[in-house]
Amino acid sequence: MDKVARLRQRAKELLEKQEVVGVLGYRASSRPGISQVAFITKTEEVDRLIFDATCSQNLANYLLKVKDKGKVAVVARGCDSRSIVVLLQEKQIERGQVYILGVGCEGVIVQGEKSVSCRSCQYPNPVIYDEMLGEEVHFEPEKVEDEFDRLTPDERWQILSAEVARCIRCYACRQVCPNCYCPVCFVDASMPALVGKTHNVSDNMVFHIMRALHMAGRCVECGACHRACPMGIDLMRFNRQVAKIVRERFGLVAGAKPDEMPALTVFKPEDPQEFIR
Amino acid sequence: MKVFLKNEDLKKLLARFVQEGRLFAPVRRCGYSGWDRVSSVDEVVLSREQAILQGEEVNTREPAKIFVFPRSETLFEFEGEEAVETGEIPELVVFGLRPCDGRAMAFLERFFVGNGPEDPRVRQRREKVTLIGVACNSPADSCFCTAVGGGPHENKGLDVLLREVAGGFLGEAVTSKGEELLTGFPEATAQQDAEAEKLKANAEATLALKIDLNRLKAALDNGFASPIWERLTLECVNCGACTFLCPTCHCFDVFDETVRGRKRRSRIWDSCQFTLYSQHASGHNPRLNPAARYRNRVMDKFKYTVDMLGEVSCVGCGRCVRVCPAGIDIRVAVAEILKEAAQDGR
Repeated sequence: MDKVARLRQRAKELLEKQEVVGVLGYRASSRPGISQVAFITKTEEVDRLIFDATCSQNLANYLLKVKDKGKVAVVARGCDSRSIVVLLQEKQIERGQVYILGVGCEGVIVQGEKSVSCRSCQYPNPVIYDEMLGEEVHFEPEKVEDEFDRLTPDERWQILSAEVARCIRCYACRQVCPNCYCPVCFVDASMPALVGKTHNVSDNMVFHIMRALHMAGRCVECGACHRACPMGIDLMRFNRQVAKIVRERFGLVAGAKPDEMPALTVFKPEDPQEFIR
Repeated sequence: MKVFLKNEDLKKLLARFVQEGRLFAPVRRCGYSGWDRVSSVDEVVLSREQAILQGEEVNTREPAKIFVFPRSETLFEFEGEEAVETGEIPELVVFGLRPCDGRAMAFLERFFVGNGPEDPRVRQRREKVTLIGVACNSPADSCFCTAVGGGPHENKGLDVLLREVAGGFLGEAVTSKGEELLTGFPEATAQQDAEAEKLKANAEATLALKIDLNRLKAALDNGFASPIWERLTLECVNCGACTFLCPTCHCFDVFDETVRGRKRRSRIWDSCQFTLYSQHASGHNPRLNPAARYRNRVMDKFKYTVDMLGEVSCVGCGRCVRVCPAGIDIRVAVAEILKEAAQDGR
């Protein structure tokens, strides 16, 4: 039985036995190339569920929207499951609230190409789950040769400036991110306003840098924001860099291990702390 | 009168504006084309059809509204108690906008200028920009201009409409500004005219969707409290991509700020999809629910502007369909609303 058939069958059973109030997964949209999130609550609707390379969104984000309805089942790939781990660690959800239908993922395809975040994915399989739908997936992640570190600060600034200059501040990146859940985002604070709201490079850069820093040790590099950006901003550039710094300095990977807290939420005596000397 | 511009003629015409540093045209970025100031006429892909064949989207990612209603602009600066107008509005020429965007420009003009107190910035910007539209011979699957009253070869809102035919373009002046631009070019032949008409018919034939706008309006008139909005919006993440890239969305926020000692009042695009948009000073928010925010967008396109100006404000460009990170399609929403209304006997 393939993954999708198994998914539909299990969704049906979970709903029938009333173990969950709904199943969070994907369904086909009106267009090829991108699927839509589905919250299935009726057994007769389980056949709408799909799982393929068009499943672009991170379902952990939608988990926050439906969590108050009761226990829900959620389809989770490696990245989604890591986001769930971060949400658990940050006490946004409880483990008992979710039933995780794990699924191995070969990567999201965008316009005929593997999404940039998926190419170097180290976690195609969920790190936590209640059951696996089908076999685990194994592939050799592409090594992303990143020239960024070899550039001078000025050169880096130029690259980032060119990227954020296109930003229209629609906040799609924030809205699709499961770990951007603040009730009032820093850019929306108005008394006092913390960030300039115009679209000049300076204001845009403040937004993007602050976003990246808030994501430090929490971003699981799922690439949902990168794919969501209507202006094609290379958001993975920011995410990758932040994750790399956290990995190198704290030896941690966001959401990879449920018992390993996010880097910036715990203090360890051996943490690098030259900056407070 | 319809004139014919050979490709070289058009290039020469555009080159003049490039030289003056005031030509904007679709320039290929990362998988889409966006509006950029062109520094060499060779950057301009004259044939939008060719661009599509090379993998570009049918239309620019950002709508042409940015030329009359930019993402952010300083309205004036303060010197002491005095407000001082700032920023000379430049004369621009925009080449390559689509008829849907032209129609949207007409809507914005009507909204900002011909509807009660006029917005001087928008009026001045529209006066100072020349819009050279290019008709669509190959609409995309996300396009639906004919369903909302437009057409792939429509000239509304433009100064000049160009229709691509073999070897060049059929030029049609829409305004006096456009007439000036097209003086001196030879009249198009009957054969060229027939070719353009055929391409128009072909393009229209690919746009199959029909929407009964009157019935939709009636459904929305009675649909405010419908449970359908909840159902339609689970997927919506309430970002502003659809509204910001919509060629007719026109909401803005105004604020004062001091930058390096200079005080100014600016305006930026705002979106009804944001919670902050409807936040009252008291803290109360009548549209806290995401479904209410999505409802506002659909209502605005197909009901509110009909009530206010007598026309729908969706031009069927399909941008919101193409860019939605959640895969939401406004055509599906419309179909569902009509279906629900029919079931309820509304």
